[in-house]
Amino acid sequence: MIVVKLKPFTEISSMLGKYQSILIVGCDGCSGIYEVGGLKQAEILKQQLELARELRKGGKIRVKTVSIPRQCDVDIVANKLRREVAEQEAILSLGCGVGVQTLADIYDDKPVFPALDTMFIGMEDKSQGKLFERCKACGDCILAETGGICPITRCAKGLLNGPCGGTVNSKCEVYEYTRDCAWILIWNRLKQRGMMNLFTKFRPFRVNRQHSPRELEKTISVSKH
Amino acid sequence: MKSIVSNSSNKIGAVLVVGGGIGGIQASLDLAESGFKVWIVDTFPSIGGVMARLDKTFPTNDCSMCILAPKMIDCSRHPNITIFSYSEVKEVNGSVGNFKVNILSHSRYVNADTCTGCGLCVEKCPVVNVPNEFDEGIGLRKAIYFPFPQAVPRVATIDAKMCLFLTKNVCRICEKFCEAQAIDFEQKPIEHEVSVGAIILATGVETFDAQLKYEYGYGRYANVITSIEFERILSASGPFEGHVQRPSDGVAPKKIAFIQCVGSRDVTCGNDYCSSICCMYATKEAVIAKEHMNDIDSTIFYLDLRTYGKDFDKYVERAKNEYGVKFVKCRVSAVEEIPKNQDLRITYETEDGKVNEEYFDLVILSVGLQPSENVKKLAENFGIELDKYGFCKTEAFSPVETSRPGIFVCGTFSSPKDIPETVIQASAASTAAKALLSSARGILVKKKEYVEEIDVRGEPPRIGVFVCHCGTNIGGVVDVPSVVEYAKTLPNIVYVEENLYSCSSDTQERIKEKIKEHNLNRVIVASCTPRTHEYLFQETLREAGLNRYLFEMANIRDQCSWVHRNLPEAATEKSKDLVRIAVTKARLLHPLERLPLNVIPRCLVIGGGISGMNAALALASEGFETYLVEKEKELGGFARNLHYTLEGNDVQGYLRSLISEVQANKMIHTFLGANIKDVSGYIGNFKTTILDINGETKELEHGVVIVATGGEEYHPNEYLYGDDPRVVTQVELERRLAEGKYDEFENVVMIQCVGSRTEGRQYCSRVCCGEAVKNALKIKEKKPDANVYVLYRDVRTYGLAEDYYRKARENWVTFIRYDENRKPIVTKQKLENGEDSLNVLVYDSSLRMQLILNADLVVLSTAIVAPTDNKKLAQILKVPLNEDGFFLEAHVKLRPVEFATEGVFLCGVAHGPKSIEESIAQAYAAVSRASIPMAKKQIQTEAIVAHVNEEACIGCDLCEHVCPYGAVELVRRPDDKWVSKINEIMCKGCGTCAVICPKMAIEMFHFNRKQILAQIRASFLIPEEGEFEPKILVFTCNWCSYAGADLAGVSRIQYPPNVRLIRLMCSGRVDPLFIFEALRSGADGVLITGCHPGECHYVSGNLWAEARYDALSSWIKEIGIEPERLRLAWISASEGVKFAKEITDMVADIKKLGPNPLTRSITVKEV
Repeated sequence: MIVVKLKPFTEISSMLGKYQSILIVGCDGCSGIYEVGGLKQAEILKQQLELARELRKGGKIRVKTVSIPRQCDVDIVANKLRREVAEQEAILSLGCGVGVQTLADIYDDKPVFPALDTMFIGMEDKSQGKLFERCKACGDCILAETGGICPITRCAKGLLNGPCGGTVNSKCEVYEYTRDCAWILIWNRLKQRGMMNLFTKFRPFRVNRQHSPRELEKTISVSKH
Repeated sequence: MKSIVSNSSNKIGAVLVVGGGIGGIQASLDLAESGFKVWIVDTFPSIGGVMARLDKTFPTNDCSMCILAPKMIDCSRHPNITIFSYSEVKEVNGSVGNFKVNILSHSRYVNADTCTGCGLCVEKCPVVNVPNEFDEGIGLRKAIYFPFPQAVPRVATIDAKMCLFLTKNVCRICEKFCEAQAIDFEQKPIEHEVSVGAIILATGVETFDAQLKYEYGYGRYANVITSIEFERILSASGPFEGHVQRPSDGVAPKKIAFIQCVGSRDVTCGNDYCSSICCMYATKEAVIAKEHMNDIDSTIFYLDLRTYGKDFDKYVERAKNEYGVKFVKCRVSAVEEIPKNQDLRITYETEDGKVNEEYFDLVILSVGLQPSENVKKLAENFGIELDKYGFCKTEAFSPVETSRPGIFVCGTFSSPKDIPETVIQASAASTAAKALLSSARGILVKKKEYVEEIDVRGEPPRIGVFVCHCGTNIGGVVDVPSVVEYAKTLPNIVYVEENLYSCSSDTQERIKEKIKEHNLNRVIVASCTPRTHEYLFQETLREAGLNRYLFEMANIRDQCSWVHRNLPEAATEKSKDLVRIAVTKARLLHPLERLPLNVIPRCLVIGGGISGMNAALALASEGFETYLVEKEKELGGFARNLHYTLEGNDVQGYLRSLISEVQANKMIHTFLGANIKDVSGYIGNFKTTILDINGETKELEHGVVIVATGGEEYHPNEYLYGDDPRVVTQVELERRLAEGKYDEFENVVMIQCVGSRTEGRQYCSRVCCGEAVKNALKIKEKKPDANVYVLYRDVRTYGLAEDYYRKARENWVTFIRYDENRKPIVTKQKLENGEDSLNVLVYDSSLRMQLILNADLVVLSTAIVAPTDNKKLAQILKVPLNEDGFFLEAHVKLRPVEFATEGVFLCGVAHGPKSIEESIAQAYAAVSRASIPMAKKQIQTEAIVAHVNEEACIGCDLCEHVCPYGAVELVRRPDDKWVSKINEIMCKGCGTCAVICPKMAIEMFHFNRKQILAQIRASFLIPEEGEFEPKILVFTCNWCSYAGADLAGVSRIQYPPNVRLIRLMCSGRVDPLFIFEALRSGADGVLITGCHPGECHYVSGNLWAEARYDALSSWIKEIGIEPERLRLAWISASEGVKFAKEITDMVADIKKLGPNPLTRSITVKEV
């Protein structure tokens, strides 16, 4: 999922400086699930914004909250929010960067602000209370050859052919030997699966990666007809 | 279980439980819940026993009162339990199945039926200097008294020896002040006769009289005290309110010493046995003392460190490493007092042979347990045999049966033991009684019939308010009539009245009448605490046809009049507020339903060893079918390797009879060579798939599960085991001895703790010391001139097994202590004659020299380890394991045979290493608990549970992550939508999931967001005028911190009246939105309170509260509100002082801080 982080409140608050009514749009997708951008967080942020404004004697601010299944979904954003958006001066998005842009594209007459910083594509390990990057969205997946561990993302150097000399006791030099070397993990996993032949396969440097912004044709789409 | 033949038709379905300590309480609750009438007799004015006097309990440092008090209350309000406190058994006639018992209740001079427990008499009594037995005489009480604030029954007692009227014919002040007119100086002792089918003796023991050890100076030196006295000193509700101070001058001690084995393991005073618990309690007291005052240094002088229980060694390691407790192995010969400052000098020998002299501020004697003086009379009375020390005589294979059929025993009366062992035996004894009386089950219990419930849904609220004077307890401080007048002005109020005592039986009738007369559909009683009285009023509502959950209480006594006695006006205003808050919530109350759930009366027992088979047989004798699943091809488990016990009983013979009994029993369906594949369902309705011996799958349906998977022997790779056939394990030795092969050895060296108490397996295997002594004695018996050496770290022959340790020494078995850092070395050496000689090198820490022992047999006392299969089974059953791989029970002290998951129980070595006797007791105990739902046939789901709005649910699964009971599961609906489902049977209602839900799709019944927000808004109505008085909103959990607030009241500890308190089920229910609402609604500060970490009644709710508190602190800081306005405090049920202090401190701090900057913009609100 898309891993997000709430911006410092002061930053959010100063973005919304002059507005007197805003709509906080939560997202029930990635950011909601990670307890950063769901309806609950929208409610908490509403409380913070209202109370902070009251304390600063900056006049009242009227905050409405709503959350939608996915802010990255153009149709949902366009069809399910219209009434709420119309009532407010500005929009504060609790979605990822995609959500903010979707809102901004559709409601181009309203200022849209991000409440979150979008970090990476990753997953949560609840036992450690941490989120980890897992995918660089490189567009050329080799996980089949690496035991389901992505060296592009998890090797600090993005190496494709085994560990470098910076590995000591299975730990990576880039992070002061605190994090696992991805290639040692791959070695262990392949060994466990009896697929060591894959380890010795040579993978040449990849040159076919597209430049941003990337685009993709959908296989099945009515727009073609 | 011995079968007792008697005519079933005249068996009486009632049981007498003698002794109201934790053992008696547990046995009574088990029996009463299973459909038997129970009479408890206790000589003390309150039940609770020794456990009530303990400050904390090891190894979790749980507050003793916090975990005991709810059980005491359960006893007092159970319809099938009658408590005769301040009473004794005079005579027992009849026989098994039908005893006639005469009970004498002493005069309390207070009418128990009319006494309301208000305590005014105690306050007014002029006799102030009576040493309080409960505080070991350190604290004082009055001539009329409650032994301790949480006493059950809460009836005052007059001490006839101290009462001025009864001794000198003057005074009668209590009589004048008692509004309930409960004082009765004419009261005579009353005799009762009860008929019971069985008797359980849970009389407990006394502590050793330390004065008999003259050399330690107890009774002569002021600063030598006993461990139980120190326990009271440590207790927050003790004589010094938890301040550690020494008796001579009240100064806080810096250096304290514990002397172990005072009155234990001591032939000079006749107590040859080990008291089992002292090593642990001394360690605990040292740890707690350090927690009280960081500059305390504790030294424990011990003989052997006998911390053999589950996770005890880890506790000791923590005491050493984290708390700096020093352990010195030395029998202290004497304590000397330095007259000028009353410090104490102890001279002792250190391990390296030096003589040391050290001075201590306080010396604590770890007194042992011993049968009470009148035990002989008791034995005569009940016609039972005692052992040579005066403990009740029992047999190894029937640990809870006395010599007289129908009379059972539990707890320390049969041998010294700790609380969990006592609880286990109590449940075991109740199983024995239940099995005996199973034909009479349900005959003598009351079953209440109720009128049909009135459907009030959709009706506008019609609220009735009853405001209690509680004599003068409330009325003497609070202007009750003005509270009544105020209540009349609140919305939806239909009827208001005041009562002298709202709890009296005539008021209950009145409430019922008024409900009918005015068509009330919500009722509020403004009186005392819901902890003790909610159930009573809920019953009244239900009798009047209203749903129990349409009731709300305002605690204007414990949390108002008692704690603001000198501020009557403020107390009156606060009472009005509390009534208003209650009305606000009452308007939003909904009727709740508890759904009946049928229980399949069959049990799955996993494991066919001694524990599993005993469980199956006990279940059968209670009349329940069992599926007994054993993975091996034959029954017997690990005991097949054992041949005799320490006491000399024949294990194989016992096992054979047990197996044939199991095979012959038609109620037991045995599956050998079978494995558990899957378990689904929940209490009452489990479905288990097993793979039987033929590889076929079978599906079993059952209501409960007992896990009895046992343990395995550790296979050592140390000490040349496997390299040399002369190195064997104790089990292998035992087989040889049983086969009579004694000629093979002359010199036997036994090495203890092989695989136990080491890196990676930091637990004691508990039975190995006994095993070694057992086999050593066997060798000596058959071959007296053989040399037997036992190399040990601590000899842990606890309890009565100490006798055999002494016998072994008397028979010239040589015990050599080695240090864990210098383990023995076993070597092989080629001799000139070509033979290999086997030598054991050991450093003897007493002689301080290296010894070389030539051995022809080296015997390793190997650890008991958990089967590796446990992990898989734990996953299937969704129950936890501890770090050593043994199953982890729900609560170490009070729920030793059950898991947090309802309907799943455990016993035997699956729980941790233990002896056969202990395994049998635990098997019976598991049966006692497991049979309760089956005996009831139907259980009811909780009403206060969480509920998911499935349409809103986004399937994030956070709720499943936070639920400590596995009650929430993300499931795929038939329409393929993934939603969280809450199993209402497993949900305990903490509300933690409702807070974490990012879509706010989870609600808690009875504590829903709307209700709580309304309560918050109603808390502070009118802005203060004049001088600023901070207003504090407090959130408490239903258990520890609310009880702590009540205790502040019961103890009359005064604190500022600026607080309003909102009770939730758990601090995990505190939603960040509640805090913001409080700050918006006029609160100048918010205090979140809950149970101490590790003591949460919902396992981990308080930890979630703490995490949210941290986040909230920064959130409110971000918006410009001082984070000091939000606080978090852990308050246990015994910390009334702490509660009051937290409030007082917070009020003072917020006063300095000034008003909440938000309140300026708040004007008068409307409800």
